[in-house]
Amino acid sequence: MKEIIFQGEQLWPGNLGHFFVVLSTVAAMAGCWLYYRAANTGSDNLRSWGRRLTYIQAFSVLAIFVVLFGIIFMHRYEYYYAWRHSSNELPVYYMISCFWEGQEGSFLLWMFWNAVLGLILLRTAKAFEAPVMAVILFAQFALSTMILGVDLEIFKVGSSPFNLLRDERADLLNIPVLAQMGQANYLKIFNNGNGLNPLLQNYWMVIHPPTLFFGFATAIVPFAYSIAGLWTGSDRKWIQPALIWGLICVGVLGTGIIMGGFWAYESLSFGGYWAWDPVENASLMPWLLMAAAAHMLVISKSTGRHLFASHVLIHITFWLVLYATFLTRSGILGNASVHSFTDLGLSKQLLLFLFGFILISVVAALPGSGLRKKTSAGFLLLIASFIAAALLVPAKSQGTFNNIAIWTGIVFFLGALVLFFYYLYRRTKIEMEDEKWLSRELWMFLGSIFLILCLLQVISATSIPVFNKLFGRNIAVPDAGFYNRFQLILAMPVMFLMALGQWLRYRETDAKIFLRDLLMTATVAAVVTVLCDLSFGILEIKYLLFLFLATWLVVANGMYLLRNRQIPLLSYGAGIAHAGFGLLLIGVLVSSVNQKILTSTSKGIEIAPELDTKGKVDEKGVAFNRENRILYQNKPAQVGEWTVTYRNATKGLGRDSIDKYFHVYFEKKNAAGRIQDSFTLSPKAQNNPKMGLIAEPSTRHFISRDIFTHVNFESGLEKTEPFSGYTETVVSPGETFLTASGKIKMRIDSVARLAPAEGTGIRLRIRAERLEDTALLYPVFNIDLENNKFEPVPAISNELGLMALITNIEVPKPDAPGEKVHFLIRTGERTPQKSYIVIKAIEFPWINLVWAGTIIMVIGASMAVYNRILQQRKLQA
Amino acid sequence: MKPWHIALILLAAAGVATVVSLYGNTTSYVSFPDADAMAKENPGKDFHVVCTLDKNKPVEYNAQKDPNHLEFYAIDSLGNGKKVVYNQPKPQDMERSEKIVLVGHSQGTYFQATQIISKCPSKYEDAPVKQKP
Repeated sequence: MKEIIFQGEQLWPGNLGHFFVVLSTVAAMAGCWLYYRAANTGSDNLRSWGRRLTYIQAFSVLAIFVVLFGIIFMHRYEYYYAWRHSSNELPVYYMISCFWEGQEGSFLLWMFWNAVLGLILLRTAKAFEAPVMAVILFAQFALSTMILGVDLEIFKVGSSPFNLLRDERADLLNIPVLAQMGQANYLKIFNNGNGLNPLLQNYWMVIHPPTLFFGFATAIVPFAYSIAGLWTGSDRKWIQPALIWGLICVGVLGTGIIMGGFWAYESLSFGGYWAWDPVENASLMPWLLMAAAAHMLVISKSTGRHLFASHVLIHITFWLVLYATFLTRSGILGNASVHSFTDLGLSKQLLLFLFGFILISVVAALPGSGLRKKTSAGFLLLIASFIAAALLVPAKSQGTFNNIAIWTGIVFFLGALVLFFYYLYRRTKIEMEDEKWLSRELWMFLGSIFLILCLLQVISATSIPVFNKLFGRNIAVPDAGFYNRFQLILAMPVMFLMALGQWLRYRETDAKIFLRDLLMTATVAAVVTVLCDLSFGILEIKYLLFLFLATWLVVANGMYLLRNRQIPLLSYGAGIAHAGFGLLLIGVLVSSVNQKILTSTSKGIEIAPELDTKGKVDEKGVAFNRENRILYQNKPAQVGEWTVTYRNATKGLGRDSIDKYFHVYFEKKNAAGRIQDSFTLSPKAQNNPKMGLIAEPSTRHFISRDIFTHVNFESGLEKTEPFSGYTETVVSPGETFLTASGKIKMRIDSVARLAPAEGTGIRLRIRAERLEDTALLYPVFNIDLENNKFEPVPAISNELGLMALITNIEVPKPDAPGEKVHFLIRTGERTPQKSYIVIKAIEFPWINLVWAGTIIMVIGASMAVYNRILQQRKLQA
Repeated sequence: MKPWHIALILLAAAGVATVVSLYGNTTSYVSFPDADAMAKENPGKDFHVVCTLDKNKPVEYNAQKDPNHLEFYAIDSLGNGKKVVYNQPKPQDMERSEKIVLVGHSQGTYFQATQIISKCPSKYEDAPVKQKP
């Protein structure tokens, strides 16, 4: 076959990018090895070489980033990544979002943060530098292989962002157009990309993913410190830095998660900020466990207890980060999520990645270098033989092999866990007397246990697709209500413990004083709860209990600060963060329990008596979410306490915009009939040719509630019937004429010449009436003087179902003065189509507490981090 | 017995309870006939059916008649067809979906869906088609 020489390609950026990917992989591996040797020998020389490689690796990551951005920026569509995720129309500030639409880009983002972390730790880890950096560089190695893009037939190592379009989508070169002009010229056809998913073209989507990934990335630091502690045999010194980074992780990951929720609330139309989707759970799971781990570290730091639990939780948190990556990137979730996932065929590599880090945990937990070496050699041998077996196994026994692999994997995983727990327990066991019942450490420990329970519930439900795959089952994924039921109950003990935490002392608390304080805060909280509920009106016992506990949590943490003014504010970060969390939970409760769908209706087509969830006939007829109303243009409708009018629609900015904004006017009158409040919301609908209707909500924010609206359908989406009943009439301006059916009366209002810029021709203004409706139509008659041709442009009114076209103009002869100009007008009719929108409006009360609570929580967490850093500095000084 | 032993026992017990209730509470993906059969025994319980849109039959949605009424026909993975009613506006990506997950229950002659998840081979999410050279 003849080699095709493709025209217009620029291959050097791809080669350069690829070179840096390879360099990053090699530098990370080599650096990891050098640091590993340095950790074992204590050699300064090896350590400084490790540093050099860290710099090279970090530079490579930056270079990959720059090259990929350059490819997207310069619209080099010969590269698959640019073709698939960007387009010529994409504004520069959204180009960065292309990085997280594709998997390769998000691995790159993760590597970027790891590189930043590496550069910070290089300077701050001091005595732990070698083992900590060895772990970070191992992660960088593993991540670099994810974008390496080497295909070993049976096992694909990574997927490169620098792949060429013609390699990745060879099928596209076979399209008929290219058969004519030659495949070599394919770039002339592929001169624009697919574009970025419109949902990602939102400013929140520019900052949410980097924040989330930074939170994800920081989870490795406490893990690395724990490994370093085990490796160097240091009992306690690793705790403080691990705690600082653990708190950073909790703060940043928490912010990232809520930002995602805020984005969903502001720009998605599911009507809420949290849906228990596997993608959301994937980021929540490590957060819950890192929160538990950070508390365990605080106990270890203050009392020396629970060193074992601290290590275990930190390790499992990092495994969870990897597990979450596996869940969201392997395509295993399939039907479980509203998100679509691309399976790049990397699931095996992702699993290997996960198991690799579990092995590191196990080996680090082993005592003595001899045992470590033997165990690692054994594990590596096992993995190698498995890969060899996978390559050798014939296709027909693939199924059996997979089964064996799954079970070996499970046995291997359990065995590794037993080894890890056994040795870790032996090495961290400290003989101490029992905790007192009224000690802060005991109750904080219990709090962590309850956080782990929350996690267990989330992970077991989210992992159902994995369970299905492993055991060939067919269990459906539970809905949001399932999670809510459990988490509502599990959150209660957590809130209770958070309320009393500050009032307990380490080691022992005076029972009398404690009980007195407890009673006092509970009384105040009860009063506040009752006062608040006068406005909320929550009656159900479980929600009331939740409200009381959350209020108590805020009140108790607030009162502690008031009662103990001598403590420096900076050291009260934990209390502030906890109070913020309490506010957030109050907001979550009230905005979901008291949420009102304003457009709910009982009217509609009924086929059979509808049954509610208890199997009884649903009298109100709203069990099946009849949540939408139709609003005809300029016809006010009553929606809750608001009079709502759909006024008009406008096109989005930009010539080619396919966005439509529907302006909906809300008005509330008081008893005297005076307007009390009014505002206009403009929900957006984009009829995307490739994705269907994309609705973006519009929300009016009040302090105590939000009114949230989005458009689910509009008259423009209806299929239009063709015009019929054509008739031609000769008329002159001012004369009245009718359509074929006689239902529409028309008159030519005025005749105007086209503006010079529009060419030569005439525009008519026709006034048309059908019953009470009137419309103006502007048909145009273009005259092409050069070719002596006419080009009429019809005018259409959907509301009247009318089309008008000028087919000819009869100009009076010069010898007949007084004769008028006559127009030959063709009209057609169809069923009148009213302009309307189908809209859903929801009232979210007190949702601002969710955002306010988050902000307070972040401030508290930042204060805690800063305070711990100051402590660390003092210790080192 | 140390206090934290009690905590661990609590953890284990609650953990087991969570997992048991999880797997006791969930349903499997079913076919339309299964959903029919089970609707009688479990009134008010929702099931998941993985199916495709029957493109030979009409999708009916007339917002002016009822903005919350959509009717269409679906074929489950075993090839059983059934009428589906959904009291929401028409999901716009439905016609191009290659797979639909319906959540709901059988009601007389039709399947009353409470939730529809359409899986689209949309251009933004399409899986790379790799061709061997």
